[in-house]
Amino acid sequence: MAVDFVTDDSAVQEALDSALRLSKADETEALVMGSEHALTRYTHNYIHESMVERNWQLSVRAAIGKRTGVASTNRLDAEGIASVVARAHEIASLAPEDADFPGLPDDATPCDDIPATYDEATAALPPQARADAVAQIVRVMRRHDIYAAGYVASRNDTIAVANSKGVRRTFRGSDSAINIKAIGETSSGYAEGYARRFTDLDPAALAEVAARKCVDGANPEVLSPGKYTAILEPAAFREFIGYLSWIAFGAQPLEQGSSFMSGKLGQKVMGDNVTIRDDFTQPQGLGMPFDFEGAPRWPVTLIERGVADDVVYDSYYAAKMHHVNTGHALPAPNAYGPLPLNLVVDPGVTSAAGLLAGVERGVLISRTWYIRLVDQQQTIITGMTRDGLFAIEDGRITHGLKNMRFNESIVEALGRCELASELVRSESHVLPAVRIEGFNFTSGTEF
Amino acid sequence: MCEVALEFEAEAQRALDTASAKGAAYADVRFGSTRDEHVEVRNGVVAGLSDSESSGFSVRALVDGAWGFASSALIEAGEIDRVSTLAVDIARASRAVQTQRIELDLAGKFIASYATPVQIDPSTVSTGERVAYLLDVDKEMRAVSGVTVSRAWIDIWHTRKSFASTEGSRIEQQLVQCGSALSALAVGAGDVQDRVHPGTGGLYQTGGYEVINDAKLLENARRVGEEAVALLTADQSPSGTADLVLSGDQMSLQIHESIGHALELDRVLGWEANFSGTSFATLDKLNTFRYGSDIVTVVCDMTCPKALATEGYDDEGTPATSVDLIRDGILVGYMAGRDTAAAAHVSCAGVVRAEYWGRLPMIRIGNVNLMPGTAASLDELFDGIKQGIYMESNRSWSIDDKRLNFQFGCQIGYEIKNGKRGRLLKNPTYAGMTPEFWASCDAIGDQSTWVAWGTPNCGKGEPLQTARSCQASSPARFRNVKVGVGYGG
Repeated sequence: MAVDFVTDDSAVQEALDSALRLSKADETEALVMGSEHALTRYTHNYIHESMVERNWQLSVRAAIGKRTGVASTNRLDAEGIASVVARAHEIASLAPEDADFPGLPDDATPCDDIPATYDEATAALPPQARADAVAQIVRVMRRHDIYAAGYVASRNDTIAVANSKGVRRTFRGSDSAINIKAIGETSSGYAEGYARRFTDLDPAALAEVAARKCVDGANPEVLSPGKYTAILEPAAFREFIGYLSWIAFGAQPLEQGSSFMSGKLGQKVMGDNVTIRDDFTQPQGLGMPFDFEGAPRWPVTLIERGVADDVVYDSYYAAKMHHVNTGHALPAPNAYGPLPLNLVVDPGVTSAAGLLAGVERGVLISRTWYIRLVDQQQTIITGMTRDGLFAIEDGRITHGLKNMRFNESIVEALGRCELASELVRSESHVLPAVRIEGFNFTSGTEF
Repeated sequence: MCEVALEFEAEAQRALDTASAKGAAYADVRFGSTRDEHVEVRNGVVAGLSDSESSGFSVRALVDGAWGFASSALIEAGEIDRVSTLAVDIARASRAVQTQRIELDLAGKFIASYATPVQIDPSTVSTGERVAYLLDVDKEMRAVSGVTVSRAWIDIWHTRKSFASTEGSRIEQQLVQCGSALSALAVGAGDVQDRVHPGTGGLYQTGGYEVINDAKLLENARRVGEEAVALLTADQSPSGTADLVLSGDQMSLQIHESIGHALELDRVLGWEANFSGTSFATLDKLNTFRYGSDIVTVVCDMTCPKALATEGYDDEGTPATSVDLIRDGILVGYMAGRDTAAAAHVSCAGVVRAEYWGRLPMIRIGNVNLMPGTAASLDELFDGIKQGIYMESNRSWSIDDKRLNFQFGCQIGYEIKNGKRGRLLKNPTYAGMTPEFWASCDAIGDQSTWVAWGTPNCGKGEPLQTARSCQASSPARFRNVKVGVGYGG
C-alpha cells in the first residue's frame, strides 16, 4: 500500500517526528503540506481538460542561534527526510545572523476549532461527479442557445506543522468550486460558487445566473469614459479590494512605510460604514485556525468603521514591532511578510437589489480582470471589466455595455460607498456587493 | 542531441502499457525532478535562503477523443498503475460531455536528449559566496541616503525531465535556468518609489552562473538606489499624447502581453475563455491582418540561445523550432500544440509546457522575440522626437481578456525634448489598443541593443500554473501614444 501524505495522518505525523528527531539545529520547524486537487475544465459546452494532481511537500526550517535556513522536498521516505533536514541545517549554518529573529513560536495552547472544514465526499469527488456537474451547466446553456467555459473543481488539503518547542498542529480541509462564463455572439455572463462541501453548490442555478447575464447583455452599447455610480458584485469587489492584503494589511508594508496605513493607525481612512476584518472563523470562509509556523490565528480588525485599526503579524514582525502575534505567517521563507488570507467585509443594511434603487445613471460590474497596482501610496489600481457590464438607468438594469478600463483609488472609493446586506464567499474572502459613487472609467474596448 | 537512456524506462513503459490496456488510444508519461535554490537579502540580513526539490510523474491519456490527466509524487509500481488508470478514467468521464473530439497533429518518434549549454556550473559557486555577494550589493544600495528597503536575490533552477509516449518517443532533458535582481524602495515625501535592476524583475535566462554575472548587480546597485530616491521628488509624468521610446525590458512585457498571449492558439480557440481569456487575433485574420507597422517582425524561436524558454523538446515531445508569428507587420502564425494544431490546421511550435512534472502541459509563451531594427542607440531613437517620453522597466501591466485595451506603468521616465533626454519623470504610464499601438512603431534598436529578457512567472490555466517565457527585444519608438492614464489622463 503506497504511503499517502494527503489522507494518512499517521504518515504525516511520522514525517514531522522524523524531521524533528533528526535535526541537530538549535530549533527546528517541520511543515507538511499535502493536497489532491481535481479540476475539470470545459469550453464550447464540452470538457477539454480534466485532471487530478496529487503532491506533498515537507519543508524544514532550521535555526542555529539567529541563523535560519529552509529546505524542502516531496521525497518523504527516510532518506528524503534525512537529506532535507541536513540541507536545512547546512543552509542555516551559511546564513549571517539576523538580530531580529525571535526564535520559533512556542505557543502550544489549543487553537479555536472551526467546524465543518472537511467533507469526505468532496475530498474524494470522482471525475464522473465533476462531469455530471458540467453536463448540468451545458443543459442550461443549450436551452439559451449559448455555450459556456469554466471549471468544476474539488480539493483535499492537509497542513501539519510541528516544531522543537512543542508546537504541533494539524488541519484537514476540503473545498470545491464552480466557475461559469456563459458566452453568446456579442456578450458573456459570469457566475461562481465556492463551498467546503460540493453538494452545497447548485451547478444548474449558477449556470442560469451566468446565462441570464449573457442573454441580457447581448448587443452591448458603448459607454463614454467618465465617472459613474458603479455597483460591484462580490466577485468584482473581491478583486477590487484584494490588493490591500498585499500592499497595506500586513506588518511588512506597515513597517517599511509603504502601506497607506503607515502613520495613520487610529485615523479615519475610509467611510464610517466600512469595516474590514481578517477572520478565519467566518463560517462561509476558507479559514484555518493556525498559521504556517503553527501560531494560533486570531481574527484581526483591519478597518473599524472607517478607521485604520491594525494589520496582521507573524512571529518575526510581532517581535520586531512589539505587537502580539496574530498568527498570519506564510510558509518560510517568504518575501511578503505576514498576510491576511481571509478578508471579511462587514455587510451594510441595504439589500443587493436595494443598491440599485436611486441610481439614476450607473453601471453594474459582474467581474473584473487583470487588476494591477498603479500607485501604492494612493492605492490606485487599474483593471478591466469582463463578463457582464450593464447600464443602470433610474434604478433598473437596462442593457449591456462594452467593457471598460478603470483607474481608481481603492481607499478613496471606500470613502464613498454603500455595502449590501448579503455576504457572499468569493475565493477565500467573504464580502457583500458594493455601490461606489464616482467610479472612474478611463477608456473602453471593442467587446 | 545524442543517444538517450531514459532514467525511468521501466516505469514509463509500465505507465504507457497500463494506460493502453485500459483503453487509451494515445498516452504519454513524464517523470521529472526539480531543484530550486533561492537566496534573498533584505536590508542587510538574509530574508530567504532556501533549497527546494520535488520529483514525481504524470500521465496524460486520450480516450475516444477526450483527455484525462493525473499525477503523483510517489514513483512506485502500484502508484504508477493507479495514476495511469485514473488518467484513463478521467478521460472516460469527460466523454459524457463531448461535442468535439480531441485529435492530435502527427508527431515524429524522437529518441533524444538535450542539456542546457552551461559556461559556469552553478554548483561551483557556493551558497556562502552567493550570500556574500548579495550582501555586498545590498550594502551598496543602502549607502544611498533615503533608500528604505534594499533587496537582492539569486535564483538557480535545475530541471530534469523524461518523456515517453505510446508513439515511441523517449526524450531525456536537463535544463538550467538562472536569474538575479536588486531592488531599492524609497519612501518619503508622501510617495513610494521602487527601482529594480536589471529590467523589470531581473535578468532570467537559460545557462549557468554566467547569467548571474551578466546581471552586474554590484555595478548598478548605487545608481538604482539613487534613482529610487530621486524619483520621490521628480516631476509627475505628464498626461496627454506623446511620442514614446520604451526600453528593451519594457518592450519585453509589451510583447508578452499584447503579442505573446494573443497568439497562443488555445486562447484563440476559446480553450482559455473563462480565465486567461481569448484573443482578438482570430483564425480568420491569419495572413491578412495588419498587426503592426512593416518593421514589426516577431518569431517564436524555441532554439534561441540564452532565452529562458529554450529547451530541446516541449512536454508533449515536439522538437524545438522557430515559427514566424508576425512578418513585416502581418499576422502569419500562432503558437500551437498537437491538439490545437490539429483543430486549426497549423504547425506545432514546440511550446506546450507544464510548470513541473505534476502539472498538465499547455501552450505557454515560448521565446517570442521582436526582431531587431536599425537604430544603433537610444540617442538615435530619441532623434526626431520634438516632445516625448522615454520609459524604462515595468511597474504595472494590465490588458483586457482579448488582448486589445492595455495600460502599462513604468518605474522611471525621462522627458525627451528636441531629440535629447531631459528631466526625470515619475509614475509614467501609457495606454492604447494593440494593433494601433504596434502600427505606430517607427523605429527599433539594432542587434547590439537586443537582449533576451526572461519572464519567470507568467500565469495561465486552471488550476493556475506559472511558466517561464522570454521576449527578446531592443528598445523601440512609438508615435502619438496616450500617456499619463491613471493619474488623471
